[in-house]
Amino acid sequence: MSSLPFWSLSGELRELGLVVAIAIGFGFGFVLERAGFGRAQKLVGQFFGHDLTVFKVMFSAIVVAMLGAVVLGAAGILDYRALADHATSETFLWPMVAGGFVLGMGFIVSGYCPGTSYVAMASGKLDGLATVLGTIVGQLVYAGLEHQAWLARFHSSGRLGHLYLWELLHLPPRAGPAMVAVAVTATAIGCFVGAERLERALAARAPAPASPAGRPGFAVLAGMGGLALAGLAVALVPAGGSASTRAAIPISADDLARRSVEEPWRLRILDLRAVEACAARRVPGAACVPPEKLASLGLADASGALDLVLVADRSLAEVPAAAAAYPGRVLALEGGYGAFARTSVAAALAGVATAPPPSPIPAAAPAGPRKGGGGCGG
Amino acid sequence: MPRDPVKFWNPYLAGAALGLVLLAAFVVMGNGLGASGASLRLGVAALGAVSPGAVASAPALERASAGGHPLDFWLVFEVLGVVLGGLAGAYTSGRLGLEVLRGPTFPRWARLGMALGGGLLMGAAARATRGCTSGQALSGGALLSAGSWAFMLSVFAGGYALAYFVRRVWR
Repeated sequence: MSSLPFWSLSGELRELGLVVAIAIGFGFGFVLERAGFGRAQKLVGQFFGHDLTVFKVMFSAIVVAMLGAVVLGAAGILDYRALADHATSETFLWPMVAGGFVLGMGFIVSGYCPGTSYVAMASGKLDGLATVLGTIVGQLVYAGLEHQAWLARFHSSGRLGHLYLWELLHLPPRAGPAMVAVAVTATAIGCFVGAERLERALAARAPAPASPAGRPGFAVLAGMGGLALAGLAVALVPAGGSASTRAAIPISADDLARRSVEEPWRLRILDLRAVEACAARRVPGAACVPPEKLASLGLADASGALDLVLVADRSLAEVPAAAAAYPGRVLALEGGYGAFARTSVAAALAGVATAPPPSPIPAAAPAGPRKGGGGCGG
Repeated sequence: MPRDPVKFWNPYLAGAALGLVLLAAFVVMGNGLGASGASLRLGVAALGAVSPGAVASAPALERASAGGHPLDFWLVFEVLGVVLGGLAGAYTSGRLGLEVLRGPTFPRWARLGMALGGGLLMGAAARATRGCTSGQALSGGALLSAGSWAFMLSVFAGGYALAYFVRRVWR
Protein backbone atom coordinates (compact mmCIF):
# COMPACT_ATOMS: atom_id res chain seq x y z
CA MET A 1 0.00 0.00 0.00
CA SER A 2 1.72 3.15 -1.17
CA SER A 3 0.38 5.77 1.20
CA LEU A 4 3.35 8.13 0.99
CA PRO A 5 4.02 10.93 0.18
CA PHE A 6 1.14 12.74 1.89
CA TRP A 7 -0.21 14.55 -1.18
CA SER A 8 -2.82 16.16 1.03
CA LEU A 9 -0.06 18.40 2.46
CA SER A 10 -0.02 20.27 -0.84
CA GLY A 11 -3.81 20.03 -1.18
CA GLU A 12 -6.43 20.30 1.52
CA LEU A 13 -3.90 20.27 4.38
CA ARG A 14 -1.89 23.05 2.81
CA GLU A 15 -1.32 25.10 5.97
CA LEU A 16 0.11 22.09 7.76
CA GLY A 17 2.28 21.48 4.69
CA LEU A 18 3.79 24.95 4.97
CA VAL A 19 4.67 24.32 8.64
CA VAL A 20 6.35 21.07 7.57
CA ALA A 21 8.19 23.06 4.88
CA ILE A 22 9.67 25.38 7.52
CA ALA A 23 10.70 22.40 9.67
CA ILE A 24 12.39 20.63 6.76
CA GLY A 25 14.07 23.87 5.67
CA PHE A 26 15.33 24.33 9.22
CA GLY A 27 17.00 20.92 9.11
CA PHE A 28 18.46 21.73 5.68
CA GLY A 29 19.90 25.08 6.82
CA PHE A 30 21.23 23.73 10.11
CA VAL A 31 23.05 20.80 8.49
CA LEU A 32 24.49 23.03 5.73
CA GLU A 33 25.83 25.39 8.39
CA ARG A 34 27.38 22.58 10.43
CA ALA A 35 28.98 21.10 7.32
CA GLY A 36 30.74 24.46 6.88
CA PHE A 37 28.69 25.54 3.88
CA GLY A 38 27.94 28.96 5.34
CA ARG A 39 31.57 29.88 4.69
CA ALA A 40 32.70 30.71 1.17
CA GLN A 41 36.28 29.50 1.72
CA LYS A 42 35.08 26.05 2.70
CA LEU A 43 32.92 25.83 -0.44
CA VAL A 44 35.44 27.10 -2.99
CA GLY A 45 38.12 24.81 -1.50
CA GLN A 46 36.49 22.15 -3.66
CA PHE A 47 37.57 23.98 -6.81
CA PHE A 48 41.15 24.58 -5.66
CA GLY A 49 41.55 20.90 -4.86
CA HIS A 50 42.69 21.09 -1.26
CA ASP A 51 39.34 20.51 0.49
CA LEU A 52 36.85 18.11 -1.09
CA THR A 53 34.17 18.61 1.58
CA VAL A 54 31.56 19.80 -0.95
CA PHE A 55 31.94 16.65 -2.99
CA LYS A 56 31.84 14.36 0.07
CA VAL A 57 28.78 15.99 1.65
CA MET A 58 26.83 16.26 -1.57
CA PHE A 59 27.41 12.73 -2.73
CA SER A 60 26.76 11.21 0.70
CA ALA A 61 23.47 13.11 0.79
CA ILE A 62 22.50 11.98 -2.70
CA VAL A 63 23.37 8.36 -1.91
CA VAL A 64 21.42 8.28 1.37
CA ALA A 65 18.29 9.93 -0.08
CA MET A 66 18.50 7.87 -3.27
CA LEU A 67 18.80 4.54 -1.45
CA GLY A 68 16.13 5.53 1.08
CA ALA A 69 13.63 6.40 -1.64
CA VAL A 70 14.37 3.23 -3.63
CA VAL A 71 14.08 0.93 -0.60
CA LEU A 72 10.86 2.58 0.66
CA GLY A 73 9.46 2.41 -2.87
CA ALA A 74 10.25 -1.28 -3.18
CA ALA A 75 8.68 -1.95 0.22
CA GLY A 76 5.46 -0.46 -1.15
CA ILE A 77 5.42 2.33 1.43
CA LEU A 78 6.28 5.09 -1.04
CA ASP A 79 4.94 5.68 -4.55
CA TYR A 80 8.41 6.05 -6.09
CA ARG A 81 7.42 6.90 -9.65
CA ALA A 82 4.87 9.50 -8.62
CA LEU A 83 7.44 11.06 -6.28
CA ALA A 84 10.11 11.13 -8.99
CA ASP A 85 7.80 12.76 -11.52
CA HIS A 86 6.58 15.31 -8.98
CA ALA A 87 9.87 16.26 -7.32
CA THR A 88 12.11 16.40 -10.39
CA SER A 89 11.83 18.66 -13.39
CA GLU A 90 11.72 17.48 -16.96
CA THR A 91 15.04 17.24 -18.74
CA PHE A 92 15.87 20.15 -21.05
CA LEU A 93 19.32 19.05 -22.10
CA TRP A 94 20.93 22.18 -23.61
CA PRO A 95 19.74 24.75 -21.06
CA MET A 96 20.76 22.36 -18.29
CA VAL A 97 24.26 21.73 -19.63
CA ALA A 98 24.97 25.36 -20.59
CA GLY A 99 23.18 26.77 -17.53
CA GLY A 100 25.02 24.33 -15.27
CA PHE A 101 28.35 25.57 -16.63
CA VAL A 102 27.39 29.22 -16.02
CA LEU A 103 26.06 28.35 -12.55
CA GLY A 104 29.40 26.70 -11.76
CA MET A 105 31.18 29.89 -12.82
CA GLY A 106 28.83 31.95 -10.65
CA PHE A 107 29.57 29.57 -7.79
CA ILE A 108 33.34 30.14 -7.92
CA VAL A 109 32.93 33.91 -8.39
CA SER A 110 30.43 34.43 -5.56
CA GLY A 111 31.72 31.65 -3.30
CA TYR A 112 28.24 30.20 -2.76
CA CYS A 113 25.45 28.39 -4.49
CA PRO A 114 21.93 29.85 -4.15
CA GLY A 115 21.03 27.60 -1.19
CA THR A 116 24.21 28.11 0.80
CA SER A 117 24.09 31.88 0.21
CA TYR A 118 20.94 31.96 2.35
CA VAL A 119 22.83 30.14 5.13
CA ALA A 120 25.77 32.57 4.84
CA MET A 121 23.37 35.50 4.98
CA ALA A 122 21.71 34.06 8.06
CA SER A 123 25.09 33.77 9.79
CA GLY A 124 25.86 37.43 9.15
CA LYS A 125 28.11 37.20 6.11
CA LEU A 126 27.59 40.29 3.98
CA ASP A 127 28.99 38.54 0.90
CA GLY A 128 26.24 35.95 1.40
CA LEU A 129 23.66 38.72 1.45
CA ALA A 130 25.12 40.18 -1.77
CA THR A 131 24.89 36.75 -3.41
CA VAL A 132 21.25 36.36 -2.34
CA LEU A 133 20.43 39.76 -3.85
CA GLY A 134 22.34 38.93 -7.04
CA THR A 135 20.49 35.63 -7.40
CA ILE A 136 17.13 37.34 -7.03
CA VAL A 137 18.00 39.93 -9.69
CA GLY A 138 19.40 37.24 -12.00
CA GLN A 139 16.20 35.21 -11.70
CA LEU A 140 14.08 38.29 -12.42
CA VAL A 141 16.15 39.29 -15.47
CA TYR A 142 16.02 35.82 -17.02
CA ALA A 143 12.34 35.27 -16.22
CA GLY A 144 11.60 38.74 -17.59
CA LEU A 145 13.21 37.88 -20.92
CA GLU A 146 12.08 34.26 -21.12
CA HIS A 147 9.22 34.93 -23.55
CA GLN A 148 11.48 36.71 -26.10
CA ALA A 149 11.93 34.51 -29.15
CA TRP A 150 15.74 34.29 -28.96
CA LEU A 151 15.73 33.13 -25.34
CA ALA A 152 12.56 31.02 -25.58
CA ARG A 153 14.18 28.85 -28.25
CA PHE A 154 17.19 28.14 -26.05
CA HIS A 155 15.05 27.75 -22.92
CA SER A 156 12.97 24.90 -24.37
CA SER A 157 15.69 23.22 -26.45
CA GLY A 158 16.63 19.57 -25.91
CA ARG A 159 13.34 18.73 -24.22
CA LEU A 160 13.31 15.06 -23.28
CA GLY A 161 10.43 15.00 -20.79
CA HIS A 162 10.83 13.20 -17.48
CA LEU A 163 13.88 11.11 -18.24
CA TYR A 164 15.71 8.94 -15.70
CA LEU A 165 19.09 7.24 -15.79
CA TRP A 166 17.55 3.78 -15.76
CA GLU A 167 15.47 4.66 -18.82
CA LEU A 168 18.61 5.89 -20.55
CA LEU A 169 20.15 2.47 -19.87
CA HIS A 170 16.98 0.66 -21.03
CA LEU A 171 16.44 -1.00 -17.63
CA PRO A 172 12.97 -2.19 -16.57
CA PRO A 173 10.88 0.46 -14.73
CA ARG A 174 10.48 -1.56 -11.51
CA ALA A 175 13.99 -2.87 -10.89
CA GLY A 176 15.81 -0.14 -12.85
CA PRO A 177 16.01 2.53 -10.11
CA ALA A 178 17.45 0.02 -7.62
CA MET A 179 20.01 -1.23 -10.12
CA VAL A 180 21.22 2.29 -10.94
CA ALA A 181 21.16 3.23 -7.24
CA VAL A 182 23.49 0.35 -6.39
CA ALA A 183 25.87 1.36 -9.20
CA VAL A 184 25.86 5.01 -8.08
CA THR A 185 26.55 3.96 -4.47
CA ALA A 186 29.47 1.78 -5.49
CA THR A 187 30.90 4.62 -7.60
CA ALA A 188 30.45 7.10 -4.75
CA ILE A 189 32.22 4.87 -2.21
CA GLY A 190 35.07 4.38 -4.68
CA CYS A 191 35.31 8.16 -5.18
CA PHE A 192 35.26 8.77 -1.40
CA VAL A 193 38.23 6.46 -0.93
CA GLY A 194 40.01 8.28 -3.78
CA ALA A 195 39.16 11.69 -2.29
CA GLU A 196 40.64 10.71 1.11
CA ARG A 197 43.87 9.57 -0.57
CA LEU A 198 44.08 12.76 -2.65
CA GLU A 199 43.56 15.01 0.38
CA ARG A 200 46.16 13.08 2.39
CA ALA A 201 48.66 13.36 -0.46
CA LEU A 202 48.05 17.13 -0.79
CA ALA A 203 48.15 17.66 2.99
CA ALA A 204 51.59 16.05 3.06
CA ARG A 205 52.81 18.82 0.74
CA ALA A 206 50.99 21.79 2.29
CA PRO A 207 49.78 21.87 5.90
CA ALA A 208 46.11 22.64 5.18
CA PRO A 209 44.14 19.95 6.98
CA ALA A 210 40.75 19.32 5.41
CA SER A 211 38.08 17.22 7.08
CA PRO A 212 39.33 13.67 7.29
CA ALA A 213 36.86 10.82 7.26
CA GLY A 214 37.72 9.58 10.75
CA ARG A 215 35.97 6.69 12.39
CA PRO A 216 32.33 7.96 12.26
CA GLY A 217 32.83 8.68 8.56
CA PHE A 218 33.71 5.09 7.85
CA ALA A 219 30.66 3.97 9.85
CA VAL A 220 28.54 6.04 7.47
CA LEU A 221 30.29 4.50 4.48
CA ALA A 222 29.63 1.04 5.89
CA GLY A 223 25.97 2.01 6.40
CA MET A 224 25.71 3.10 2.78
CA GLY A 225 27.22 -0.19 1.74
CA GLY A 226 24.59 -2.04 3.79
CA LEU A 227 21.76 0.02 2.30
CA ALA A 228 23.15 -0.61 -1.16
CA LEU A 229 23.04 -4.34 -0.47
CA ALA A 230 19.37 -3.93 0.48
CA GLY A 231 18.89 -2.07 -2.79
CA LEU A 232 20.61 -4.90 -4.64
CA ALA A 233 18.22 -7.37 -3.04
CA VAL A 234 15.35 -5.17 -4.22
CA ALA A 235 16.73 -5.17 -7.75
CA LEU A 236 17.01 -8.96 -7.75
CA VAL A 237 13.61 -9.74 -6.24
CA PRO A 238 11.18 -10.20 -9.13
CA ALA A 239 8.87 -7.27 -9.72
CA GLY A 240 5.22 -7.20 -8.82
CA GLY A 241 3.30 -7.28 -5.60
CA SER A 242 3.99 -3.71 -4.66
CA ALA A 243 1.77 -2.15 -7.33
CA SER A 244 -1.53 -3.80 -6.39
CA THR A 245 -3.00 -0.75 -4.65
CA ARG A 246 -1.93 2.82 -4.98
CA ALA A 247 -3.31 6.21 -4.14
CA ALA A 248 -3.84 8.60 -7.02
CA ILE A 249 -2.30 12.07 -7.05
CA PRO A 250 -5.17 14.54 -6.86
CA ILE A 251 -5.48 17.09 -9.66
CA SER A 252 -7.81 20.03 -9.22
CA ALA A 253 -10.53 20.75 -11.78
CA ASP A 254 -8.86 24.08 -12.65
CA ASP A 255 -5.50 22.42 -13.23
CA LEU A 256 -7.08 19.76 -15.42
CA ALA A 257 -9.01 22.38 -17.38
CA ARG A 258 -5.83 24.35 -17.97
CA ARG A 259 -3.72 21.33 -18.93
CA SER A 260 -6.41 19.87 -21.21
CA VAL A 261 -6.21 23.08 -23.22
CA GLU A 262 -2.52 23.94 -22.96
CA GLU A 263 -0.89 20.53 -23.25
CA PRO A 264 -3.44 17.87 -24.21
CA TRP A 265 -0.64 15.80 -25.74
CA ARG A 266 0.81 15.14 -22.28
CA LEU A 267 -2.40 13.70 -20.85
CA ARG A 268 -4.33 10.52 -21.33
CA ILE A 269 -7.76 11.17 -19.85
CA LEU A 270 -10.08 8.27 -19.05
CA ASP A 271 -13.67 8.97 -18.05
CA LEU A 272 -14.89 6.13 -15.80
CA ARG A 273 -18.50 7.31 -15.52
CA ALA A 274 -21.44 5.59 -17.16
CA VAL A 275 -21.07 5.71 -20.94
CA GLU A 276 -24.27 7.78 -21.42
CA ALA A 277 -23.12 10.49 -18.99
CA CYS A 278 -19.67 10.54 -20.56
CA ALA A 279 -21.07 10.67 -24.09
CA ALA A 280 -23.13 13.73 -23.20
CA ARG A 281 -20.40 15.80 -21.58
CA ARG A 282 -16.78 15.09 -20.74
CA VAL A 283 -13.35 16.63 -20.33
CA PRO A 284 -11.92 17.52 -23.77
CA GLY A 285 -9.89 14.63 -25.11
CA ALA A 286 -11.29 12.11 -22.64
CA ALA A 287 -12.06 8.55 -23.66
CA CYS A 288 -15.20 6.95 -22.20
CA VAL A 289 -14.02 3.83 -20.43
CA PRO A 290 -16.33 2.22 -17.87
CA PRO A 291 -14.29 0.61 -15.04
CA GLU A 292 -14.99 -2.95 -16.23
CA LYS A 293 -13.33 -2.15 -19.58
CA LEU A 294 -10.16 -0.73 -17.99
CA ALA A 295 -8.34 -4.04 -18.03
CA SER A 296 -8.74 -4.29 -21.82
CA LEU A 297 -6.60 -1.16 -22.32
CA GLY A 298 -3.40 -2.93 -21.28
CA LEU A 299 -2.29 0.06 -19.19
CA ALA A 300 0.43 -1.98 -17.49
CA ASP A 301 2.29 -2.23 -20.79
CA ALA A 302 1.88 1.42 -21.81
CA SER A 303 5.02 3.56 -21.85
CA GLY A 304 3.98 5.76 -18.94
CA ALA A 305 5.14 8.90 -20.75
CA LEU A 306 1.73 10.56 -20.49
CA ASP A 307 -0.02 11.46 -17.26
CA LEU A 308 -3.03 9.19 -16.84
CA VAL A 309 -6.00 11.20 -15.58
CA LEU A 310 -9.00 9.38 -14.13
CA VAL A 311 -12.37 11.13 -14.10
CA ALA A 312 -15.25 9.69 -12.06
CA ASP A 313 -18.49 10.93 -10.53
CA ARG A 314 -16.66 12.00 -7.38
CA SER A 315 -13.08 12.02 -6.05
CA LEU A 316 -11.56 8.57 -6.42
CA ALA A 317 -10.49 7.09 -3.10
CA GLU A 318 -8.45 4.34 -4.66
CA VAL A 319 -7.14 3.69 -8.14
CA PRO A 320 -8.68 0.63 -9.85
CA ALA A 321 -6.12 -2.17 -10.07
CA ALA A 322 -5.96 -2.06 -13.88
CA ALA A 323 -5.00 1.63 -13.78
CA ALA A 324 -2.67 1.22 -10.79
CA ALA A 325 -0.41 -0.92 -12.96
CA TYR A 326 0.21 2.06 -15.27
CA PRO A 327 3.95 2.82 -15.10
CA GLY A 328 3.55 6.64 -15.28
CA ARG A 329 1.79 9.13 -13.03
CA VAL A 330 -1.84 8.44 -12.22
CA LEU A 331 -3.88 11.53 -11.40
CA ALA A 332 -7.48 11.61 -10.17
CA LEU A 333 -9.80 14.55 -10.71
CA GLU A 334 -10.68 16.09 -7.35
CA GLY A 335 -14.42 16.37 -6.85
CA GLY A 336 -15.14 14.26 -9.92
CA TYR A 337 -16.70 15.52 -13.17
CA GLY A 338 -19.03 17.82 -11.27
CA ALA A 339 -16.07 19.97 -10.23
CA PHE A 340 -14.83 20.16 -13.82
CA ALA A 341 -18.29 21.16 -15.05
CA ARG A 342 -17.97 24.35 -12.99
CA THR A 343 -14.74 25.48 -14.71
CA SER A 344 -14.55 28.09 -17.44
CA VAL A 345 -13.37 25.51 -19.97
CA ALA A 346 -16.49 23.41 -19.41
CA ALA A 347 -18.63 26.53 -19.69
CA ALA A 348 -17.01 27.37 -23.02
CA LEU A 349 -17.63 23.84 -24.25
CA ALA A 350 -21.28 23.94 -23.19
CA GLY A 351 -21.68 26.73 -25.72
CA VAL A 352 -20.97 24.22 -28.47
CA ALA A 353 -24.45 23.01 -29.43
CA THR A 354 -23.61 19.37 -29.97
CA ALA A 355 -20.70 17.63 -28.39
CA PRO A 356 -18.47 15.84 -30.87
CA PRO A 357 -18.97 12.07 -30.89
CA PRO A 358 -17.14 10.30 -28.07
CA SER A 359 -13.76 8.97 -28.95
CA PRO A 360 -13.78 5.19 -29.19
CA ILE A 361 -12.07 3.15 -26.54
CA PRO A 362 -8.51 3.00 -27.75
CA ALA A 363 -7.05 -0.43 -28.26
CA ALA A 364 -4.10 -1.55 -26.21
CA ALA A 365 -1.51 -0.21 -28.58
CA PRO A 366 1.87 -1.49 -27.53
CA ALA A 367 3.99 1.54 -26.76
CA GLY A 368 7.25 1.69 -28.62
CA PRO A 369 10.45 2.05 -26.61
CA ARG A 370 11.07 5.60 -25.50
CA LYS A 371 14.03 6.72 -27.52
CA GLY A 372 15.00 9.65 -25.36
CA GLY A 373 14.24 12.36 -27.85
CA GLY A 374 11.96 14.75 -29.58
CA GLY A 375 8.28 14.60 -29.92
CA CYS A 376 5.77 16.34 -27.80
CA GLY A 377 6.39 15.67 -24.15
CA GLY A 378 8.97 12.97 -24.79
CA MET B 1 28.89 21.33 23.34
CA PRO B 2 31.53 24.09 23.42
CA ARG B 3 31.38 26.60 20.60
CA ASP B 4 34.25 26.20 18.19
CA PRO B 5 34.06 28.30 15.00
CA VAL B 6 36.60 26.19 13.10
CA LYS B 7 35.05 22.83 13.94
CA PHE B 8 32.71 21.32 11.34
CA TRP B 9 30.80 18.08 11.25
CA ASN B 10 32.45 15.10 9.69
CA PRO B 11 31.60 15.47 5.98
CA TYR B 12 30.14 11.98 5.61
CA LEU B 13 27.99 12.34 8.73
CA ALA B 14 26.86 15.79 7.56
CA GLY B 15 26.08 14.32 4.15
CA ALA B 16 24.09 11.46 5.67
CA ALA B 17 22.15 13.96 7.83
CA LEU B 18 21.48 16.09 4.75
CA GLY B 19 20.35 12.97 2.89
CA LEU B 20 17.89 12.15 5.67
CA VAL B 21 16.47 15.69 5.56
CA LEU B 22 16.06 15.34 1.80
CA LEU B 23 14.47 11.92 2.22
CA ALA B 24 12.04 13.40 4.75
CA ALA B 25 11.06 16.05 2.20
CA PHE B 26 10.53 13.31 -0.40
CA VAL B 27 8.54 10.99 1.84
CA VAL B 28 6.39 13.53 3.67
CA MET B 29 5.85 16.26 1.07
CA GLY B 30 6.63 14.61 -2.25
CA ASN B 31 9.00 17.51 -2.97
CA GLY B 32 12.75 17.95 -3.04
CA LEU B 33 14.74 20.76 -1.44
CA GLY B 34 15.33 23.99 -3.32
CA ALA B 35 16.40 27.59 -3.13
CA SER B 36 16.41 29.52 -6.41
CA GLY B 37 12.66 29.15 -6.99
CA ALA B 38 12.03 30.99 -3.74
CA SER B 39 14.38 33.77 -4.88
CA LEU B 40 12.14 34.37 -7.90
CA ARG B 41 9.05 34.54 -5.70
CA LEU B 42 10.69 37.04 -3.36
CA GLY B 43 11.97 39.07 -6.31
CA VAL B 44 8.59 39.18 -8.01
CA ALA B 45 6.94 40.27 -4.77
CA ALA B 46 9.50 43.09 -4.39
CA LEU B 47 9.28 44.12 -8.04
CA GLY B 48 5.50 44.07 -7.93
CA ALA B 49 5.54 46.50 -5.01
CA VAL B 50 7.86 48.93 -6.83
CA SER B 51 6.65 48.59 -10.41
CA PRO B 52 3.57 46.43 -11.09
CA GLY B 53 3.84 47.22 -14.80
CA ALA B 54 7.19 45.44 -15.08
CA VAL B 55 5.67 42.27 -13.65
CA ALA B 56 2.68 42.42 -15.99
CA SER B 57 4.93 42.84 -19.04
CA ALA B 58 6.63 39.43 -18.73
CA PRO B 59 4.52 36.23 -18.76
CA ALA B 60 6.92 34.28 -16.53
CA LEU B 61 6.92 37.01 -13.88
CA GLU B 62 3.16 37.34 -14.02
CA ARG B 63 2.73 33.58 -13.62
CA ALA B 64 4.97 33.62 -10.56
CA SER B 65 3.04 36.48 -9.01
CA ALA B 66 -0.43 35.14 -9.85
CA GLY B 67 0.05 32.02 -7.77
CA GLY B 68 1.67 29.99 -10.50
CA HIS B 69 3.17 26.75 -9.48
CA PRO B 70 2.30 25.52 -5.98
CA LEU B 71 5.86 24.24 -5.56
CA ASP B 72 7.06 27.81 -5.35
CA PHE B 73 5.00 28.38 -2.26
CA TRP B 74 6.51 25.36 -0.59
CA LEU B 75 9.95 26.68 -1.53
CA VAL B 76 9.39 30.10 0.01
CA PHE B 77 8.51 28.53 3.36
CA GLU B 78 11.30 26.00 3.06
CA VAL B 79 13.83 28.78 2.46
CA LEU B 80 12.45 30.64 5.47
CA GLY B 81 13.30 27.47 7.40
CA VAL B 82 16.79 27.40 5.82
CA VAL B 83 17.45 30.92 7.09
CA LEU B 84 16.24 30.02 10.59
CA GLY B 85 18.25 26.78 10.57
CA GLY B 86 21.35 28.57 9.32
CA LEU B 87 20.95 31.19 12.04
CA ALA B 88 20.58 28.53 14.74
CA GLY B 89 23.57 26.60 13.38
CA ALA B 90 25.77 29.70 13.22
CA TYR B 91 24.76 30.87 16.69
CA THR B 92 25.41 27.53 18.36
CA SER B 93 28.75 27.06 16.58
CA GLY B 94 30.04 30.56 17.30
CA ARG B 95 30.16 31.46 13.61
CA LEU B 96 27.48 34.14 13.84
CA GLY B 97 28.85 37.63 13.18
CA LEU B 98 28.88 40.43 10.63
CA GLU B 99 31.82 40.04 8.26
CA VAL B 100 32.84 39.77 4.62
CA LEU B 101 34.53 36.47 3.83
CA ARG B 102 37.45 36.92 1.42
CA GLY B 103 41.12 36.22 0.85
CA PRO B 104 43.53 38.14 3.15
CA THR B 105 44.60 40.67 0.50
CA PHE B 106 41.40 41.09 -1.52
CA PRO B 107 39.52 44.39 -0.97
CA ARG B 108 36.17 44.20 0.78
CA TRP B 109 34.13 46.23 -1.74
CA ALA B 110 35.48 44.18 -4.64
CA ARG B 111 34.51 40.98 -2.84
CA LEU B 112 30.96 42.25 -2.40
CA GLY B 113 30.84 43.15 -6.11
CA MET B 114 32.05 39.68 -7.04
CA ALA B 115 29.41 38.12 -4.78
CA LEU B 116 26.69 40.21 -6.41
CA GLY B 117 27.92 39.41 -9.92
CA GLY B 118 28.29 35.70 -9.18
CA GLY B 119 24.79 35.72 -7.74
CA LEU B 120 23.47 37.34 -10.91
CA LEU B 121 25.06 34.63 -13.06
CA MET B 122 23.67 31.88 -10.82
CA GLY B 123 20.21 33.41 -10.69
CA ALA B 124 19.90 33.60 -14.45
CA ALA B 125 21.48 30.15 -14.94
CA ALA B 126 19.25 28.50 -12.32
CA ARG B 127 16.20 29.71 -14.22
CA ALA B 128 17.51 28.11 -17.43
CA THR B 129 18.29 24.85 -15.60
CA ARG B 130 14.94 24.68 -13.76
CA GLY B 131 16.68 24.62 -10.40
CA CYS B 132 20.00 25.16 -8.67
CA THR B 133 22.39 22.88 -6.84
CA SER B 134 19.72 22.15 -4.21
CA GLY B 135 16.70 21.55 -6.39
CA GLN B 136 18.36 20.13 -9.47
CA ALA B 137 21.65 18.47 -8.41
CA LEU B 138 20.71 17.26 -4.93
CA SER B 139 16.99 16.46 -5.24
CA GLY B 140 16.91 15.54 -8.92
CA GLY B 141 20.20 13.67 -8.63
CA ALA B 142 18.90 11.53 -5.76
CA LEU B 143 15.87 10.61 -7.87
CA LEU B 144 18.16 9.72 -10.79
CA SER B 145 16.86 12.35 -13.22
CA ALA B 146 19.08 12.34 -16.32
CA GLY B 147 18.99 16.13 -16.70
CA SER B 148 20.02 16.61 -13.07
CA TRP B 149 23.15 14.52 -13.53
CA ALA B 150 24.09 16.34 -16.72
CA PHE B 151 23.58 19.61 -14.84
CA MET B 152 25.69 18.48 -11.89
CA LEU B 153 28.67 17.51 -14.04
CA SER B 154 28.35 20.85 -15.84
CA VAL B 155 28.41 22.80 -12.56
CA PHE B 156 31.67 21.17 -11.50
CA ALA B 157 33.11 21.75 -15.00
CA GLY B 158 32.18 25.46 -14.87
CA GLY B 159 33.67 25.88 -11.39
CA TYR B 160 36.96 24.21 -12.25
CA ALA B 161 37.20 26.07 -15.58
CA LEU B 162 37.09 29.48 -13.90
CA ALA B 163 38.76 28.71 -10.54
CA TYR B 164 42.29 29.57 -11.67
CA PHE B 165 41.27 33.05 -12.84
CA VAL B 166 39.61 34.10 -9.59
CA ARG B 167 42.13 32.57 -7.17
CA ARG B 168 43.17 36.00 -5.89
CA VAL B 169 39.72 36.53 -4.38
CA TRP B 170 40.35 33.68 -1.99
CA ARG B 171 44.11 33.63 -1.34
